[in-house]
Amino acid sequence: MIEFKNVSVTYRGGVKALKNLTVTIEDGEFVVIVGLSGAGKSTMLRAMNGLVKATEGSILVNGTEVVGAKGRRLREVRKQIGMIFQTFNLATRTTVLNNVLMGRLAHVPAWRSTLGLWPAEDKERAFLALDRVGILEKAYVRASDLSGGQQQRVGIARALAQDPAVVLADEPVAALDPVTSHQVMGDLQTINEDLGITTLVNLHFLDLARTYGRRIIGLRAGELVFDGPIEEVDDETFREIYGRAVTPDDLLHEGAEVE
Amino acid sequence: MTAPTEAEVAVVRPRMARSKLVFRYGVTAVIIIGAVWSFTSLDISVERLRTAPGDIWKILRLTVPPDMEGDFVSRVFGKVLESVYIAWVGTMIAALISLPLAFMGAENTAPRWMQLPIRQLFNVIRSFPELILAVLLLPITGLGAWTGTLAIGLHSVGTLGKLSTEAIESIDFGPAEAAQAAGGNRLEAIRWGVLPQVLPTIVAYWLFRFEINVRASAVMGVIGAGGVGSELINQLNFRQFDKAGTVLLFTILVVLFIDTSSAAVRRRIILGGGTSESANTEVFRDLSGLTGPGLT
Amino acid sequence: MTTTEGPRPGDREIVPPRKPPRPWWYWAVAAAVIAFTVYSGRRVGFSLTSLKDLPSNPLWEKFWPPEWDWVFANAIDPLIETFQIAILATLVGCLLALPVSFAMSRLTSHNTYTYFGSKAIMNLIRTIPDLFWAKLFVTAIGIGAFAGTLGLIIFSLSVMVKLFSETIDAADPGPLEAAEAAGGTHIASVKVGVLPEVLPNYVAYALYVFELNIRASVVLGLVGAGGVGRVLEAQRQFFQFDRIMGIVILLFVVVFTLEQISVAIRRRLV
Ligand SMILES: Nc1ncnc2c1ncn2[C@@H]1O[C@H](COP(=O)(O)OP(=O)(O)OP(=O)(O)O)[C@@H](O)[C@H]1O
Ligand SMILES: [Mg+2]
Repeated sequence: MIEFKNVSVTYRGGVKALKNLTVTIEDGEFVVIVGLSGAGKSTMLRAMNGLVKATEGSILVNGTEVVGAKGRRLREVRKQIGMIFQTFNLATRTTVLNNVLMGRLAHVPAWRSTLGLWPAEDKERAFLALDRVGILEKAYVRASDLSGGQQQRVGIARALAQDPAVVLADEPVAALDPVTSHQVMGDLQTINEDLGITTLVNLHFLDLARTYGRRIIGLRAGELVFDGPIEEVDDETFREIYGRAVTPDDLLHEGAEVE
Repeated sequence: MTAPTEAEVAVVRPRMARSKLVFRYGVTAVIIIGAVWSFTSLDISVERLRTAPGDIWKILRLTVPPDMEGDFVSRVFGKVLESVYIAWVGTMIAALISLPLAFMGAENTAPRWMQLPIRQLFNVIRSFPELILAVLLLPITGLGAWTGTLAIGLHSVGTLGKLSTEAIESIDFGPAEAAQAAGGNRLEAIRWGVLPQVLPTIVAYWLFRFEINVRASAVMGVIGAGGVGSELINQLNFRQFDKAGTVLLFTILVVLFIDTSSAAVRRRIILGGGTSESANTEVFRDLSGLTGPGLT
Repeated sequence: MTTTEGPRPGDREIVPPRKPPRPWWYWAVAAAVIAFTVYSGRRVGFSLTSLKDLPSNPLWEKFWPPEWDWVFANAIDPLIETFQIAILATLVGCLLALPVSFAMSRLTSHNTYTYFGSKAIMNLIRTIPDLFWAKLFVTAIGIGAFAGTLGLIIFSLSVMVKLFSETIDAADPGPLEAAEAAGGTHIASVKVGVLPEVLPNYVAYALYVFELNIRASVVLGLVGAGGVGRVLEAQRQFFQFDRIMGIVILLFVVVFTLEQISVAIRRRLV
């Protein structure tokens, strides 16, 4: 369970990116966070694993406080949270397997991982993760030699290799074409359903949000403006979250045609 | 129609800001004054200027044909090789020392308090030319190749450290952030998120430095710190120009050989296993623009 | 929920791909590099203990304290001579480099013979270290600053030509073509079409070459080519370590300062 209690984030320049956010996310949920660019979606996700420091409030991940956590304790929390990035964040000049093994860093003693002496069991887990996203045969290929969709699957496998309780995905399909986008979102959905991993995804395409989200959280200017199950969401909801009418650019399908 | 003259070009050029103009004229004035001052103070008479080319040509001509007598050739070749050994070991020492230091000096991999002293260290080391370092080391470590090796190694720590730091700072920190998000500590994030991305570039810098160090080690012999330099000095002092020619010939051949092969390896390393990313070619261009003797 | 270790339900039996073996040349190259390093290490007398004991060698005490009085009385004039050499060599070398660079660039050279000819000669000149040139000139025209200046002119020329001709290569060919299409002679077209674009780089490189020359000029005296190195060489032969230390510190301070100034100007230029 993830509990945000009165969480605020103020960046160094003075930008208030999150304002007094209180949200609870139950185990196994599939939550999609929507909002305009700059609304604070990334900030919300990154506060959960401490990549961004919350300046006020409390964030409990399975009972552990993230706000103010440092060093070993912060790494213990991060161990339970896999993260998937918009630009994949792969070490492109090394193999797919090495990238996925990064997900095992918190499970393996530092000296072993640093020397590359990964235990057989951890390698096995990396292979399992790769198999789950369907690119097991690419294990020894250089990451830069994969297509965008495949690279994002490596990103997902890296998160899965952590054996996480939670997966955070920050605009995971923004750099992908429509067909690949659906495949990757499908992967995330399957993982959520099969493994029961709590999944939070930032999306800016509203049709994707509707297709895959079971619960929608809407942010505007750092504030929570909507929180409810997908059944309660209609065009009017999005209009309220965005503070403007929905345009074709907000939809993956039509946005692609517009281009 | 004739080509526009300089005056015409000047007309269409927009007027420069006043401060910039002042700056420009200031710099020009300083250069001219400096040049006149230097020329008049140094004992370069017009008479000497007139005769010098002839004198130089005479000596250069005497180096051809070089003395190709077997024993002498093998001695010279051995000395040139010694220069190569010095450059190689010096570069290796510098590579091993500068690699960890570079990560400690880069703003994306080290805490702030650590960066500044490390960078200053690089700058300080860099401003001592190899030969000056060798002059200092000579009484301690004695005549011979080891002194030259140490001097070159030490100086290269500064130059390699600076280049490597810049390489580290220019990478995308995303992969390292991913490693941290997975619960890795700073060292692990560097090992898996940064190192694979920068190592090819840094190794290319090592090779590049080796090329420069071959030239640097060739002159170490001038003060007895090993290598082919002593041979050239001796032959010229005894006015054995054909033998000096042999020394020059083998120096040129070996330097050319090392430059070309090292540049080829560098290209391969930077371009990686087949795929050429645009960022990689960028680095390669940067690097190739830097080749020049003694470049530091 | 806590993370569960061990295979999860739904995980299939999988057959991981086999790790592709390293190509045969990988090990050959690795072995060759290691062997060459070890052999070189032995030939140059590499010794870890020597490396380790270096800072604690008692001989260092002879370097301290520097003999400042002597240094200020005897090293300042040669030091000034050093900088005069560097200034003059930079200026002459860079001016000579201007026409040569244009002849050596793919963009502006229109004569194959001068293009390949200048390239080959410059490459040849670059393979010979600057101090070798200086020594050659000392032998030809006698000991003194003149020989050193000539040596550094050759050095400046070769560095400048390399850097600048590559910049010209990368310049936008548009204006040159336009000027030539308008009927300009080749030289005039280069002057209006290319020169303005690359001139800022030229000035920045010239300053950079000046920095290199400052550092190179302090050692010229070791081969009799003038400047402060001459004093260094003399004191070295008489084992006056405290004077050497004084000169080296002085050199460091002056070289470091000049370099910072030059770097600052270069930043303003580009
Ligand atoms: N590192 C930072 N330093 C200062 N301000 C930041 C930083 N990161 C984000 N911000 C600011 O915080 C606000 C929220 O940013 P955030 O990245 O969370 O938005 P977002 O909803 O993810 O937007 P997008 O859809 O563009 O990714 C923005 O105003 C942004 O400019
Ligand atoms: Mg964002």
